[in-house]
Amino acid sequence: MFGRKGAQLCVELLHTEEDQLSRFNNDLFEQVLNETSEHFEQLEARLTKMHEEGLDAQTTKNADFYGGLTHHTSILRNKRCLLAYIYHRAQTVQRLRWQLGAVLPDDIQSKLSYSEKNYFKQYSDSLGVYMSSIDLDLSVDLSPPKDPYIQVKVLENVGNVYLDDQSTSLLRNSIHLIKRSEAEPLISQVRLLCL
Amino acid sequence: MGSYFDLDDILAEEEPVGVQFRVAAAGVGILDPSAEENQVEVGSKVELPFWLAQELWYSQAVSLKLPNFYNERIRKEVKADPGCVDLRSRCPYFYELGCKLVPLAQDATLGSFLMFSLRGRYRDLLCKSHTAAGTVTPKFLARLTREETRLFEAGAESMKAFRKWRLEGTRLEKAPVLGKKRRPTSDTPENT
Repeated sequence: MFGRKGAQLCVELLHTEEDQLSRFNNDLFEQVLNETSEHFEQLEARLTKMHEEGLDAQTTKNADFYGGLTHHTSILRNKRCLLAYIYHRAQTVQRLRWQLGAVLPDDIQSKLSYSEKNYFKQYSDSLGVYMSSIDLDLSVDLSPPKDPYIQVKVLENVGNVYLDDQSTSLLRNSIHLIKRSEAEPLISQVRLLCL
Repeated sequence: MGSYFDLDDILAEEEPVGVQFRVAAAGVGILDPSAEENQVEVGSKVELPFWLAQELWYSQAVSLKLPNFYNERIRKEVKADPGCVDLRSRCPYFYELGCKLVPLAQDATLGSFLMFSLRGRYRDLLCKSHTAAGTVTPKFLARLTREETRLFEAGAESMKAFRKWRLEGTRLEKAPVLGKKRRPTSDTPENT
């Protein structure tokens, strides 16, 4: 009651390390919503009572007024906690697009709520449309390169891929000298290791 | 102060503050454990989270009492040696909450006391964060408030970045979200 649960949501976010993602806490989120509706009912009850007594809610300052004020403040407080929770997760979801590309691994997918998945998809689509309109992949070269080619070691079997317009088989533990822009997404996904 | 979505700002406002009601408030008996009816009577003393206390104070419904970690005893401790006082166990948002209380409290010395504590602790903090990079110093860290911990981490981070730059470390990195050991996916929510 009175914002305790909303603050719990925020504590949870704060304790999740930056760049990590925890599961969407549907349960607690619902509880805060229910609590908010409860506050609203109480507030309405106060206002109706004042109305029935023929008092003006703008000017009268009696016990009902202060009770109502308390509930009103609690509603605003819960709203702030809920919005902050959603906002910070949305920021993380955006970062995921840049770090992991358009397809998320399953274990990360399972941590997102339904609307967050939608958000990710739409964000990814918008970014894709923009990048194709300027004909440039913005997600590579996030730090300025010194050499266009780098040496990499393969950590996970990738199979035959077209690199630099020729077929290369990336087998586990083999070492290749390939174009940096092509290696970057694979390094980001922990499939290659930069030597 | 902090933005609407700032988590630390939200949590700083969650800290309890003692208030005394100057008016009665109906329908909120849950706030006062000793209330017999669903109503808070005039003169009852309760602890409210800061966000609620502030709102009620603005409409002159309550009078505020400063939390006891701003009292004389603590002030003397801080004056004796700022670096040694364990502020986190008193209140992790010692400075933030203090700043918010300044316009509300009648105590004119609160602001300068906060300034004095931070100034006294800052140099020590910065020195340790630069030298202790890499090794953990939990005993010292446990005394810091949130704000100070962030300062400490920022200092340590910048030293790390400097070393990396000097040794020309690797610049391509894996996505941090995959950095942790991947746990087998299970249905139990993670406790973080």
